[in-house]
Amino acid sequence: MVVGLGLSSAEKSYIAGGIAVDLRGDGRGRHHFRDFSIDTSIIPQANGSARLRLGGTDVIASVKAELCAPPPGRPHHGKLEINVECSPTAAPEFEGRGGEELSMDLSRALQRSFLGGASGAGAAIDLASLVVLEGKLCWMLYFDGLVLSSDGNLLDALSIAMKAALSNCGLPKVEITSGTNPEDDADFELNEEEFTPVDTSRFPVIVTLTKVGKHYIVDATAEEESQMTAAVSVAVNKKGSICGLTKRGGTGLDPSVLLDMISVAKRVSQTLITSIDAEISAAESRHDDQ
Amino acid sequence: MSQDEGIESATGAKDVASSMEVEAFRRLFPVQYIERYLDASVRPDGRPLGRARPTDVVLGQVPTTDGSALVKLGNTTMLAGVKLELCVPSGESPDQGRIAVDFQMPPICSPHVRPGRPAEDACSINEQLSNVLASAQLLDLRELLITSGKSAWVANLDIYCLNADGSLFDAALLACAAALTDLQIPGVAIDDDGKVQIVSPSGDQDQHMLDAEKVSDESKSRRIDKRRLTLGPVPVALTCMLHKKHILADPTAEEETYLQTTVTVAMDSSDKLISLYKPGGLIVATTSTIMDCIALTRIRLKEVNRILIEAAQVKAGD
Amino acid sequence: MFLNSQKALLKSDGTRLDDRLPSHVRPAFLKTGAVSVAAGSAYAEFGSTKVIVSVYGPRESKKAQAFSDIGRLNCDVKFTSFATPLRGKAGQDVSDKEFSVLLHKALEDAVDLHSFPKTTVDVFALVLQSGGGDLPAIITCASLALADAGIVMHDIVAAISLSCVGKDLLLDPTYKEESQQDGSVFIALMTSRREITQVTFTGEWSSTKASEALELCCDACVKLGEVMRVCLKEDAAEATEDT
Repeated sequence: MVVGLGLSSAEKSYIAGGIAVDLRGDGRGRHHFRDFSIDTSIIPQANGSARLRLGGTDVIASVKAELCAPPPGRPHHGKLEINVECSPTAAPEFEGRGGEELSMDLSRALQRSFLGGASGAGAAIDLASLVVLEGKLCWMLYFDGLVLSSDGNLLDALSIAMKAALSNCGLPKVEITSGTNPEDDADFELNEEEFTPVDTSRFPVIVTLTKVGKHYIVDATAEEESQMTAAVSVAVNKKGSICGLTKRGGTGLDPSVLLDMISVAKRVSQTLITSIDAEISAAESRHDDQ
Repeated sequence: MSQDEGIESATGAKDVASSMEVEAFRRLFPVQYIERYLDASVRPDGRPLGRARPTDVVLGQVPTTDGSALVKLGNTTMLAGVKLELCVPSGESPDQGRIAVDFQMPPICSPHVRPGRPAEDACSINEQLSNVLASAQLLDLRELLITSGKSAWVANLDIYCLNADGSLFDAALLACAAALTDLQIPGVAIDDDGKVQIVSPSGDQDQHMLDAEKVSDESKSRRIDKRRLTLGPVPVALTCMLHKKHILADPTAEEETYLQTTVTVAMDSSDKLISLYKPGGLIVATTSTIMDCIALTRIRLKEVNRILIEAAQVKAGD
Repeated sequence: MFLNSQKALLKSDGTRLDDRLPSHVRPAFLKTGAVSVAAGSAYAEFGSTKVIVSVYGPRESKKAQAFSDIGRLNCDVKFTSFATPLRGKAGQDVSDKEFSVLLHKALEDAVDLHSFPKTTVDVFALVLQSGGGDLPAIITCASLALADAGIVMHDIVAAISLSCVGKDLLLDPTYKEESQQDGSVFIALMTSRREITQVTFTGEWSSTKASEALELCCDACVKLGEVMRVCLKEDAAEATEDT
């Protein structure tokens, strides 16, 4: 991650020492998330959108839905595509091609967590619910993430923002006018008045555990990330199953340490998911009131 | 000649040579190192001046292609694969298919190639290959036709250099020719509307091709069974280095870097000269030098044809 | 054209389509010194997956890069156009970049970057044929090539992947098994230290299943590490005989 100036050795030992005694620089414990706020429906042209502020990290996510043909070999599934961009406002290095590597890293980590296996099992959304006409027409959901400002933990923030954007998303009703003949393409009409929401109950949240010294912390700031020895991002859903895992660089990890990190991530995610859902409904009701 | 004087002026080399290790001498005075061998009418690897390196050709190693060949010319290694795709023949030649040659030098093959930027040699070899294959009558493009004006095959011939140790063009041309001899055109079924369906090969376990719709016997379609191409005489190339009075056949990368001039001759077994390529260089070649190169190529031609026949027999024996 | 997704991947006696048990890896063919012009190289075959890796360096970093008092590792992965059954460049470009990054991450911690300060070691891989488990094959082959080039490493890295299909865990999947998997695990392990340098999970996993999968993969990597060591010793012995 990006840190403007280097840290002095005193600052480094302050960070490491604080983590060792469960008291971080901003007063949090090792397994505490920063407070976050969500705003939804910020992009009217998108089917769903949300903005998340997590400490100094600021990200926007949007969902756009389009009709298309189902993936080859899986006529009863819809499609998801995830893409992240890092705006130069977050850091001057992101201008032009500078942010490309980070964007690709984040996109791939999100794809790994949300797309599930090659057969479509374990995906963040029940892909069968995106089918309009089996074998001919389905919804393709484009998830786009934009990083506006970075103070660490971009991946978790993006996953929360995308869940919020998806909750905010409504798919227009599709009326099939013809196309019962299996040879022809389907003709359809979009009803822009009626919308069906998408079921987000299976949507996972990503918890990144950053290992500093012997301990792991959750929701690291940019400074803390610069001191990491290793980081593992685990996507956990409401049921407590792991939906994806990515090691994000750093030194080697013992398998037992990895399993321990997974169990910490699971524990933290359960409370996190409840607070996310609460924030999202609060944001939606704020939006409805306006 | 001033060039000779320049080299000779490093006479210090001759004195130092006696007290220096061979490897160090080779690094510091590469030209003199090679010349020492040439004066004794041998090459650093022990070959006589006019002999090419041991050559190996293995056909059909890549099951995902319709024809492939792995060629080793000394250490220089080339892997060529042909994949056939359906296309619509162009308006000017409705009775012909097409062949698209692509020669690539991936970064693994040479310390001079960096990822992202194609090697300089790759471009010129690509050009030469396309020209030679077009002028040699190895492949009659009409053989790639299915239905006149409606459908034909385009043969995508991709050659990858796996180890670049000199004489790249010779090895690449041999790989192209060998891959084309190994090429099997799949069977097709053409229905009345002119739609072509490929009959997928049966019994290939690892052939994870998408299952093409199996064509039932009841359909009234015209079938063409899978077949091999009938090829014309195979073109063979030999690159020679000219250095002072010597002609070296089939140079290694070390020889190519330090010696003065290259001449590449391509011929086919009907004794036709297909191409002669001499890209500048310090030596102006006389007619007799060129004739010597052509004579060496003729000898090489016989060798290569024998190797190709043996390779085909080995493949058929499997 | 549709992939035949109805085909079962396990036969009635519990073996896979290529007659392996679910916990068996494909037989490996490993050879160093495949590319004579490189500082080090290796060729690896795992079933029908064939990979060549060359290592060049330590050599000058290209262009003017920021001064670095530790060495740099530069990785690049390419596929031949006939590596996959569908001749394609489009779908492969994305994999190229992603695999290059993952290869770098898997090897970074094992290579002793302090042993070649200010210079770069280039690791280039070419996938000749993609038959499933491409990335693990690339990483394993790259470790061999680095050892062949004499680059100082803390440990040898071996990698393996595993597919989850329904309830079954299939180790070292083929292309067909990968395309129908419900989830996958990929691990790169430092074989003596038993430390994971890179790991990814996709699909849905319970904790018990995840730990079972990790166990299987780590054991397979350790065994593969032993095979790699034997290969290196044999090839080194051959080389000293020739000279």
